[in-house]
Amino acid sequence: MTDWLIGLTIVLPWVGALAVWMAGDDRAEIQHRLAVVFSVAAGVCSLLLLPSYGDGPALSIEVGSVFGTFTFVPDGLGLFLSAVATVVGSLAVIFSVDYMRGEASLGRYYAQILLFIGAMVGLALSGSLFLMFVFWEITALCSYALIAFYNDDPKAVAGGLRALIITQLGGLGLLAGALIAYAYLGDTQISTFLAQADTLPSGVLAVMAFGALAAAAAKSSQVPFHTWLPGAMEAPTPVSALIHAATMVNAGVYLLARFYPAFASVNGWETAVVIVGLLSAFLAALMALFATDLKRVLAYSTISQLGYMVYAVGVGGVFASQFHLLSHAVFKALLFLAAGAVIHGVGTRDMRQMGGLRKDMPFVRTVFVIGALALAGLPILNGFWSKELVLEDGLHHGPVWAYAGMLLAAGITALYTFRMVWLVFYGERRGEGHAHDAGQAMKLSTGILAAGTLTTWLLAGGFGKMLTESLPFHDLHAPGALDLYETILTAPATYLALAVIAIGLAAWWFRDRLAWVGEAVPWLARAADADFGFEWLNQRIVTATTSAGEALRVTQTGLLNWNVLGIVGGLVIVLAVLALGA
Amino acid sequence: MNTIEIVLVAAFALVGVGLYGLLATRNLIKVVIALQIMIKGALLALVMAGRATDQVALGQSLALTVIVADTVVAVIGLAFAVQVKRMRGTLDLHALSELRG
Amino acid sequence: MLAAGLGIAAVVCAVLAIRASRLLSAALWLAAVSALVSILLYELGARQVAVIELSVGAGLVTVLFVFAISVAGDDGLREGEALPRWLTVGAVGALLVLLVGMALPLGEVDVNAGGFSIEAMLWDQRALDVLVQIVLIFTGVLCLLGLLAESRLPAQPPTQALTENVERPDALPVEPEPAEPEHEPALEEMPL
Repeated sequence: MTDWLIGLTIVLPWVGALAVWMAGDDRAEIQHRLAVVFSVAAGVCSLLLLPSYGDGPALSIEVGSVFGTFTFVPDGLGLFLSAVATVVGSLAVIFSVDYMRGEASLGRYYAQILLFIGAMVGLALSGSLFLMFVFWEITALCSYALIAFYNDDPKAVAGGLRALIITQLGGLGLLAGALIAYAYLGDTQISTFLAQADTLPSGVLAVMAFGALAAAAAKSSQVPFHTWLPGAMEAPTPVSALIHAATMVNAGVYLLARFYPAFASVNGWETAVVIVGLLSAFLAALMALFATDLKRVLAYSTISQLGYMVYAVGVGGVFASQFHLLSHAVFKALLFLAAGAVIHGVGTRDMRQMGGLRKDMPFVRTVFVIGALALAGLPILNGFWSKELVLEDGLHHGPVWAYAGMLLAAGITALYTFRMVWLVFYGERRGEGHAHDAGQAMKLSTGILAAGTLTTWLLAGGFGKMLTESLPFHDLHAPGALDLYETILTAPATYLALAVIAIGLAAWWFRDRLAWVGEAVPWLARAADADFGFEWLNQRIVTATTSAGEALRVTQTGLLNWNVLGIVGGLVIVLAVLALGA
Repeated sequence: MNTIEIVLVAAFALVGVGLYGLLATRNLIKVVIALQIMIKGALLALVMAGRATDQVALGQSLALTVIVADTVVAVIGLAFAVQVKRMRGTLDLHALSELRG
Repeated sequence: MLAAGLGIAAVVCAVLAIRASRLLSAALWLAAVSALVSILLYELGARQVAVIELSVGAGLVTVLFVFAISVAGDDGLREGEALPRWLTVGAVGALLVLLVGMALPLGEVDVNAGGFSIEAMLWDQRALDVLVQIVLIFTGVLCLLGLLAESRLPAQPPTQALTENVERPDALPVEPEPAEPEHEPALEEMPL
């Protein structure tokens, strides 16, 4: 039964993609309905999978030779990520029914989103390194295609290309890792790799560990590869909610969490992970403080929260990081979708033209505030529990200076969150025109997510149990639910964090009195705007890749003779290799 | 050198000549001729391989299939050439190629 | 010995076909190659295949070539070189050396030519192949009908068609313009 469910969860969205594309763009209503039906069906299948977690492969496809066996392992780590991907995916699709009403090329849009959902489930559940690479690439392709969805806008296309190039470097690293594992261990199964990681020569393991860190940093948009995510905000907002908040960017954190037992023993790796997480959390929080585009603030906030998850993996708190991943997926998707409703209603993304929207858009304000409070880490909401757990683990198992930095970042998080909510919904209306409230589908999807934000922390116990029992190599000791809550509520670290958050909130309230702080550090704002110089590095990577592509165009002559020469040349090389090898 | 080896070398040589023709010619009909020569070489190799591995009937059946396929290719290729000449006035590949990087 | 002679003759005719200066000569040399290959096949014991190859390759295809060349016009092949000579000869030469070097010596092989039935093989075991051949011929006929449908294809003057070029997609801007509007220097200066 489990193997059927796994197959269905991956194949149903893909069949839906085909169906939507074949329905044709002139039958938009049918396309909307098909997309919703298939994505909800996939969500149901993945939820049905949750009880049947295990640590052995449930579905195996023999491919033979170097590709080994393509296996799907329904362990806790993969099941919950696939549940998140499909459920948030179906909510984003429901939201798109209103958001994309009347847009052109809906077939392309829905087909790519559904293709992405299926591939994300495959990535999460994959038990073979090669198979994971295949799904990784499919998600990168869909992400690029959806960022550049408005393909007559050069900014969107440039943003898509940049995201593709930078995340693809990570994909290459994953492929290299798979090949190295095959060369040394004879098998590309992840379980084999985790079990025998210490048999690899330490230099090779170190290369793989830092390569995986770089790949994860590129995919999850961490320092120093973080500048593609703000540029990806050109995508339609449901895409931003699904791909760039809840699922694809989590793939990097997932990679780190899954391979943690293998790499934890490499010297300096954990510290490197902690530093990457800390820098991303802190710098991105600062950049969010100075941004004026609503989606950009959310993008920086995503980078920052992912930094928390990476930091948690670095200090060994894999459960904490995954729990925060769950909470973040829910509240960040909520924030993005609500922001999409705002943008759709007001017609602009610039927060300086918003303000006072609480009167025009009461429902959106409510759900947005719920998401914002979760982001800031206020009690009762899921963000509070997971963030406190991360900070707890950081205090007990990690370096103190990192803990201090993360605490400060939590305060800045509260500050920019409150700023964002104030600028959008409170105060006086600064732009012109009347903002209309959200449509039915928008309200439904954001409402469900808001309910989730209020409640997903209750799943912590079951989630912890699922992870402990189905990850044999990780040596996790997730506490039971009540223990967890008690630990968090009684730890002094919690109250310290709450105090810092309160300071952050107060800082906004009293911003007039604190204006002199801003006067004293004008360079900070300018630096934050320039992404602290990392933009230069990423821009160089993108430019190098595109100019290499342009330079190689000369080989595509289009003439039969050159093409046949290529064939003959390839044949000669293959035969030479065979002759030498034999 | 027994018969099998001689025929093998002849088959390889025919394929080689056909490939050289594909590399060196710019005329569309010459391309079809070069393809035909290559396929004759492949035919020889098939039949010879059937004899060498004691699967004579299989080798010859496959050779029959190949003859049918290559005849169809030649027919359609020539029809293309006739139409191209009629529409574009030239059979020079370099002048006809529009698809390039 | 006969096989060696036939083989060499076939290769020589093939070379002459490629290097012929007139298309008609090339087609006729191809017919010679077909005939020689068919005799060689007969020597190898593939009698039915040899007959079919002779009638189809040396007969049907040659007639088609002659017809096509007469319709298309035998302008002679006055165009320039496609690829540098050293490159083509070198590539093909390397390929042949590798192939022959890897394949030979072959050792003793059983060369029995009797005791098989091609009809039984073809119709019983390779029936799918026969079906595919029928489908192939049918498809070929359909293609031809489509290609040679004269009424729908207006003949364009050559110069017009040749000067059209595929448009290159606009080069994507490598430097994305700064996406955000002018930044605000300090948050306290935000109007509220």
